[in-house]
Amino acid sequence: MISSLNVTSQRVEGQSTAVLKLAGRLDATTVGQLERALTDAQLSGNRVIVIDLSDLTYVSSSGLRVLLTGRSNTRKRGGEVFLCSLRPPVREVFEMVGFTAVFTIFDTLEQAMEAAAAVSRG
Amino acid sequence: MSSKPLTHSDKSLTIPARFDQLRRAGAFVSDMAAAAGFEGLQLNRIELAVDEACSNIIQHAYAHRPDGKIHIRVQAERGRRIVITLIDTGEPFDPEAVPVHNPEASLDDLKVGGLGLFLIRQTMDDVQFEFNVPGLGWGQPKRFNRLTMIKYL
Repeated sequence: MISSLNVTSQRVEGQSTAVLKLAGRLDATTVGQLERALTDAQLSGNRVIVIDLSDLTYVSSSGLRVLLTGRSNTRKRGGEVFLCSLRPPVREVFEMVGFTAVFTIFDTLEQAMEAAAAVSRG
Repeated sequence: MSSKPLTHSDKSLTIPARFDQLRRAGAFVSDMAAAAGFEGLQLNRIELAVDEACSNIIQHAYAHRPDGKIHIRVQAERGRRIVITLIDTGEPFDPEAVPVHNPEASLDDLKVGGLGLFLIRQTMDDVQFEFNVPGLGWGQPKRFNRLTMIKYL
């Protein structure tokens, strides 16, 4: 079966920042991919993980839990997780469960990258 | 008699209780909801409710039992509402016993079922759980669980 979630990971040169871009659907069948990418990004010593959701069209509670766990694990190591570019259906689910108050969310990838650079410098 | 005919459709689908069937269930319900007039974010909410409800049945009612089945019935009334009924024969559970997700509270210790149930109640207008419903015979299971979810346009 062709996976309906695509996760691409990129390391930002000169910064301890990883950018994960999610495209497709984040649900019970695809969360494993995000879990692996988050673990890899953490084990590679990245302090900040930026998750670009501009091409994520759907999220269920399974996806929300993995994002939340990823955030807690990263913060335990003194790092940060920033999200950006939520589409309306995804943003609505975040709002329903109160995640917009929990996560640091930016409108654009550029803004998230600026914040990541600031953390990386600090 | 000249009145605009109400268009009703009533379809059912039975799926194996496995995560790889979730999208099939969601698409089945979404297609009927779209035909009934739902669109955009409303369609997403309906699909999410079905996804969460089926996930709960797979994980909790059947505890990933490979032979479990979920029967999905969708009654759509165009321009008015959609009624989604999910039937399973797994272990009944008490939704009242699941800790209610509180968006204001600390999210460090989220309960699996709690978040799914919360989303079902947030996205649908009317949600009713029934457990250990006696069957009527004629090849039906002796007892089953039934979740009815209604969304109005």
